[in-house]
Amino acid sequence: MSLQDYRPMMERCSMCLNCRWIPFDKIKSQRYGQNCPSIGYYNFNTNTARGRFQMAQSMLDGRTTYTDDVIETIHSCTACGACDMACKVCRYNLEPLDHNLELKAHAVADGKTLPGQLPVIENLVKENTMLVGAKKANRMDWAEGLDMIDLFKETADVAFFAGCQYSYNKDLQKVARNAVKVLQKAGVKVGTLGGADNCCAGRALQMGFTKEYNDQSSANIKAFEKAGVKTIVTPCSDCYHAFKRQYPKSGSTVEVLHMVEYLDRLIADGKIKFTKSVPMSVTYHDPCHLGRLGESFTPWEGKEKKILNQVHTWEPRRPRYTGANGIYDAPRNILASIPGVELVEMERIREYSWCCGAGGGCSDTLPEFSSWTAGERLTEANATGADALVSACPWCKNNFANAVDENGNKMQVLDIIELVQMAL
Amino acid sequence: MALAREIYQALEDIVGKKNISEDIGVCESYRSIASQTSAHYGPFDHWTPLPQAVILPGSTEEVQNVVRICNKYKIQFKAGSTFYATMAYIGSDYAVQLDMRRMSKIEIDAKNQCAIIEPYAIAAVVQAEAMKVGLNLNIPGVGCSSSTLASTSGWAGFGPTSIFMGASGENLLSAEWVLPDGEVIKTGSAGAGAGWFCGEGPGPSFRSVFRGVTGVAGSMGVCTKIAVRLHPWPGPTFLPSDGVLPAYKAVLPDNFKCYTLCFPDWEGWTTAAAIIHENDVLYLGHRQYNMFGRNLKGAMIRILTDPEKQLCDLPELLEDPELQKQNESMKLEFQVVIAGMTKKDMEYKEKAIDEILKLSRGWKNEMMLEKDVHDWALLYLLRLGHKNLNYVLCGAYEGNFGMSSNLYVTTPLMEEASALKRKWEVEATAIAATGGDSEMGSISGIGGGGVTGWEYFTNFDAYDKDSIRGTKEFFDDTQRWMTEHGLGGDFSRWNTECRREDSYNYTQEEHDSFFVKMAQPHVMAYQWKVREAFNPNHLGGSYYRTLTPDKVPEGK
Repeated sequence: MSLQDYRPMMERCSMCLNCRWIPFDKIKSQRYGQNCPSIGYYNFNTNTARGRFQMAQSMLDGRTTYTDDVIETIHSCTACGACDMACKVCRYNLEPLDHNLELKAHAVADGKTLPGQLPVIENLVKENTMLVGAKKANRMDWAEGLDMIDLFKETADVAFFAGCQYSYNKDLQKVARNAVKVLQKAGVKVGTLGGADNCCAGRALQMGFTKEYNDQSSANIKAFEKAGVKTIVTPCSDCYHAFKRQYPKSGSTVEVLHMVEYLDRLIADGKIKFTKSVPMSVTYHDPCHLGRLGESFTPWEGKEKKILNQVHTWEPRRPRYTGANGIYDAPRNILASIPGVELVEMERIREYSWCCGAGGGCSDTLPEFSSWTAGERLTEANATGADALVSACPWCKNNFANAVDENGNKMQVLDIIELVQMAL
Repeated sequence: MALAREIYQALEDIVGKKNISEDIGVCESYRSIASQTSAHYGPFDHWTPLPQAVILPGSTEEVQNVVRICNKYKIQFKAGSTFYATMAYIGSDYAVQLDMRRMSKIEIDAKNQCAIIEPYAIAAVVQAEAMKVGLNLNIPGVGCSSSTLASTSGWAGFGPTSIFMGASGENLLSAEWVLPDGEVIKTGSAGAGAGWFCGEGPGPSFRSVFRGVTGVAGSMGVCTKIAVRLHPWPGPTFLPSDGVLPAYKAVLPDNFKCYTLCFPDWEGWTTAAAIIHENDVLYLGHRQYNMFGRNLKGAMIRILTDPEKQLCDLPELLEDPELQKQNESMKLEFQVVIAGMTKKDMEYKEKAIDEILKLSRGWKNEMMLEKDVHDWALLYLLRLGHKNLNYVLCGAYEGNFGMSSNLYVTTPLMEEASALKRKWEVEATAIAATGGDSEMGSISGIGGGGVTGWEYFTNFDAYDKDSIRGTKEFFDDTQRWMTEHGLGGDFSRWNTECRREDSYNYTQEEHDSFFVKMAQPHVMAYQWKVREAFNPNHLGGSYYRTLTPDKVPEGK
């Protein structure tokens, strides 16, 4: 689609500004009622989904040009989808997140990028990873000594896809190693592409770099086919979303499971048994790309059809991604099954969870905004009184680990895999 | 004309660099497309003017200083909070837009049963904070996404709970007001330093200047803080919401019940509403789901309470015989919530509702008693959450007819009004065909019971130019019908006296030309004097309705 294709949505947006808030029915306090990091930080209407519709329309109409503020506004969306689900509490025919991403792609196609984006994309093109400074040659360093099956030679139960953060980030590599060990201990045959895989490039898509995303995803899909991959397990929520929701648009038919889904199955089947108590109260952060953006892709081709004179519907019935069917229960089931762990929920959870701030490439390109967003979540997490904040995404963990809450306090941040490992 | 550099710099010095912008992209996002007509203006296929700058003040002092700069340089200004309605936007080219988003404090004074709030405290969060201490507020029909300060201080403000809690004007206590010339006054008890609990005194009232009945829509300075009266909430400390998006629902204790009361004819309907006006039974009373239209309401409720359903399911649902039966059962209906303060109180209210139904030949609709539907309706009505159900059908709507009057005056006209709307639905295609009658609104627009507050929801497509044009023609026809029946201004035309069709402010000459024809032109002439006293530079726009006094015809 092009930006012009979104004109009906731009004009049909009701200006209700639901896109600023978590669903009203879920608001329990003033402090944690908002949902959009972008307007939360920048404060102008422009930064809402509504504002982006309006700005884009004025660009198409020739009234708005690319100023520095316009470019920053376009790229200051964390692609978290909170506006999208809030909109869909009310509307059945708007897609704010898709529009936000198309607006970014439109700007990138016009050469309107942020300085911080270019080194990330250059590294993606050159080294097949979006972590600046990381080298393709070191992609499998994290797995040194692990006895994983080479999928180009043998078959395995699952292909383990660590993703760039777990592969290159020295602080996180041990989490991926532990993940593989946990799976193997449960009797799972874990395979690897052995570095033949590239970055999933989901973040490139979130940043508007469509061509670069297409190049990487095509290469990955070919590698999956060549290695005969049937099922991918990944501990990274960004990779999960890319493989599950985006790759099928390019023909991928691989089954995609997040590590929490697989662990939940293994625990339910009695293949993982906890032997130690972890006396700790934790609060769980739903990663956007595992939660509200974690729904499966359903192919659709059709057109708009008006009924009852002016009610616009879709023919045939169009899939509706509301976030309601994201992955929320699996991580909570895991936490509930670990002896000693007590889960205390934050106010904004599940489909109306607050973003960690890393999405949309913002942790690389707009670090102050990204850090503020993470700090907001830490404030909410600390308010629960929990000992630790648990998540299921390395981007979230990394962003939280480098942030402080509104009182300047840090918080212990754990990947859920670390918690599982502690209890084995 | 762009703001001169020294003016922009002066404004930036007040609020800080991060809180002001004249960027074209930012300013463009502070324009209202008049085809989205919330609050009764339009629909027109154009935008409100582009502001010279957008300013986000963070305190009363900053507002005051911005207003003083505007007076010094004769720049028009308008403050908006949520920007839900066109009335929040500027109406001239040489104007700045104030976005009150940074002023969002809420202080709950449980002892005095009031909330002291700033402009960006929306009703949903005020309610959430009030419920923590067993209190609640009247959320007007605009819904919980609206600024409580804006609707309480600046607009009509009746809603589902008005029968129990009163409308906005009744709930306004003390206020802090930056006058159009930059002076700050506090009204009521706050004006005497005695707290915020009273609007009339000790201290100056100014209610008639500040607000009146329908409010001045932000055209007389900037209200920066108010106290709003809170009312008992006999429920939990937060609304317990569960269910799957968008079919959220609330499982509340047994002292809350939501019923859809149905009647065989308008006479029965009127009888029930009139008895309710005379008895203290309801926590909430609204004809709500008829907003989707007489033919569609049952099907829409099925869609909204089933997360798997979509609008494309409407045709199939409309053919469902059981649903048709339920729809017919609630052809003439309204929704009520009763809330028992004690067990005995609940028993009394249940009996009272049953007795009212006997006297009015009415019944409770069965479908609305299904557990999931009941809990969904209860949550929706109490929070007036996702109020923007207004927009579900087509994305754009406007309320028209607008029969806010005595029950016995309006209900006999309902079928005739519905037939007129149905004629337009059938003979033209500009508006959605929902069954003619799409009347909805408060069972009472004032506390205790009395005048009703009704409008017909008309849905159209803001992307379809023919639909916009045709809807406007339909509204012209309803105004003709209203005039013929002596019912005054059509709801869809309320703000067309305040902003020109091209979305700019009226000139005084233009206002004079039509207010001189009013039955009581002295009202507008009085307001002219008020404006001259409080707003000598005329910087608030033409939402404040005035008539030059020497234009008042002799003998009037």
